[in-house]
Amino acid sequence: MGKNHMRTNSAKLVYSTLITTGAAAIALSIIFTSSILAFIGLGLLFWGIIFTYIRTEEYTKKSLLDATLTSQITTCNQIAQELDYKGTPIYLPPKYFKDTKTLKAYITKQKETKLPTPEQIQAQEHQTFLKNPPALLLTPLGAELTKLFEKILDTDFTRTNINYLQQKMPKLFIQDLEIAQNFEIEPENDIIHVKIQNFQYITPSKELDLSPSNSFALDSPFTSAIASALAKTTGKPVVIEKQQASQDGKDLTIDYRTLDEEA
Amino acid sequence: MMFPLNFWDISLLLAVTAIILLITSELLSTHYGKVNIIINKNRLKNTAITTSILFLTTVAIRIINLLIAP
Repeated sequence: MGKNHMRTNSAKLVYSTLITTGAAAIALSIIFTSSILAFIGLGLLFWGIIFTYIRTEEYTKKSLLDATLTSQITTCNQIAQELDYKGTPIYLPPKYFKDTKTLKAYITKQKETKLPTPEQIQAQEHQTFLKNPPALLLTPLGAELTKLFEKILDTDFTRTNINYLQQKMPKLFIQDLEIAQNFEIEPENDIIHVKIQNFQYITPSKELDLSPSNSFALDSPFTSAIASALAKTTGKPVVIEKQQASQDGKDLTIDYRTLDEEA
Repeated sequence: MMFPLNFWDISLLLAVTAIILLITSELLSTHYGKVNIIINKNRLKNTAITTSILFLTTVAIRIINLLIAP
């Protein structure tokens, strides 16, 4: 904390020194009519202003983020395991809820179960443990991230389509969030392939128990956020069909599947 | 007492700054995998473009002056 405070102060000191020295050099250049001093002054002043303008944004160390997130993933995982919920998380679109801003994932008790109807979910949307059908209704880990995506893109995913995501998501991941080097979305029938290269947010779930029963822990906040975004965009329930990561975990291929209500 | 630099000197200073900023902005671009340098790259890019436009404006003014001058 003290070190960080010192770093901020020293950065401020550098900017203000540059600006003050630059202004003084310009003043002296006018007094002594020296073009060299004027060049130095303008240069210092200019770079001082530029450094102040492009200075570091507020960042949090990734290890800190991982540390706070890991326990949440573990808790979700433990709840699902303890209560023996075996289903794959299904990311429900807004039509399943009375409040269209709600984002929830639905985990069934049994591995293969029919999708619930929007009316069934709406009747008990504020409950976590559903009785009919027996299932868990949780806010997915990436719910807030999906809202952040919408905020940055200044849109509501329910009013967009998959082409919009194909066009905007690469810019969002590469330029705005600066979290990946490449991002591709490729829809193919009911499967949507997402490819992320040089992904900088390696999921903390790598450190957790990844046994097949822990399906919820496998969904990192970002894969979960993309699933929620796809559910909102397509208006259909979405499941994460397959996830593949390279050895270092930086290249990801995720296959999402949209479900039809009759399924 | 007067400011010792003329219009052309300022133009030169803008040109040098614009080149440095444009090259830095391009080298730090996230498209080349530089995602671990923590400065506001969007602002850097905007500054580089603005400085370039300012320089080009000075060039345009100079050209217009040359054309208008008898």
